[in-house]
Amino acid sequence: MILASLISYPRAIILGLVQGVTELFPISSLGHSVIIPSLLGWNIHQNADYFLTFLVATHLATAIVLLGFFWRDWVRIVKGLGRSLRDRGIAPDDTDAKLGWLLVVGTIPAGILGLLLQDKLRTLFDSPRAASIFLALNGVMLFAAERMRRRAPQTDSDDDTRISRQVGWSQAVGVGAAQSLGLIPGFSRSGAAMSGGLFFGLSHKDAARFAFLLATPIIGAAALLKLPQLAGTQGNGVRGQALAGALAAAFSAYLSVRFLMRYFETKTLIPFAIYCLAAGIAASIYFAVS
Amino acid sequence: MLPLMRNDRWLVIAAVILGVVLIVISIVYFAEPAKSLPSFFPGHQAGSSHHHTKHGIAALLLGIACLVFAWFRSAPKKSPPAPA
Repeated sequence: MILASLISYPRAIILGLVQGVTELFPISSLGHSVIIPSLLGWNIHQNADYFLTFLVATHLATAIVLLGFFWRDWVRIVKGLGRSLRDRGIAPDDTDAKLGWLLVVGTIPAGILGLLLQDKLRTLFDSPRAASIFLALNGVMLFAAERMRRRAPQTDSDDDTRISRQVGWSQAVGVGAAQSLGLIPGFSRSGAAMSGGLFFGLSHKDAARFAFLLATPIIGAAALLKLPQLAGTQGNGVRGQALAGALAAAFSAYLSVRFLMRYFETKTLIPFAIYCLAAGIAASIYFAVS
Repeated sequence: MLPLMRNDRWLVIAAVILGVVLIVISIVYFAEPAKSLPSFFPGHQAGSSHHHTKHGIAALLLGIACLVFAWFRSAPKKSPPAPA
């Protein structure tokens, strides 16, 4: 009963909607999940089992939406991986196989760092004050990515061909490792991955596509790993709210990924950088004086 | 060409050994509680019955990655097509 009162259904839906948007927009979902409840005066403990269990459900929903949105791409990529394993090599014109292995190579550092550091970093930086400062730094990172981006010639008309030609193995490791910044509340995983992609010469659209493809196994695996919590005793009293939050997250994540894939065809990270910097500084001041 | 092939062979052997060792380590992490892990293993803690599943998954992923690397690296070299 006490648990249910801590995350009411309206709060669960609001948190789910925010999670779906902020997971995919380069503005840090973890940071917002720390800052927003504190700003609204909600008595939610960030490291309490019931809240972590709730987050598992919303993350799983976001991963399922991403998987569904890029379903045809994933089918091609998995077939490409199978072909390359069978042939014991990647054919020069096999874009799907190359992209698949780039995603595998990029996922390994993020996965391992996530497995080993997630709980430690979350415990270390779970205060709204720290999250606000890191949100502002996330804005600085996005500004820097725009400033330092390499403009490589975009010769191929196919998205995946461009990505697989532009991104090398070491660069995939770099983008994958950059994603790990998202383990710190306030830094955005997708923002770090897009920044890495821009730095290595991808266009905004390709950097976003690569970041979303990289995100799917990471978010999905992290959620699946903790799914037993939702089914076990830790889920008692919060399952209904988690379902409501997950549906809300799925809805907003779908709209977000649709919007962002069109947005990045022509536009940049600058508006998100401005938002993170402004919101981070404003929240830092608020938490410092309150 | 020959020295490169020799290097490749050693690289493949090293990757296979490393892959197998990492998979064995992952099984130890899955099977043994923290108190029973060898003392040089990260996560060893006297008296703790906690299973370091995440360490196990990390070791397993790395082990599989090493074996996949060896699989690709040991593929027979394709000869270039004869000029027409």
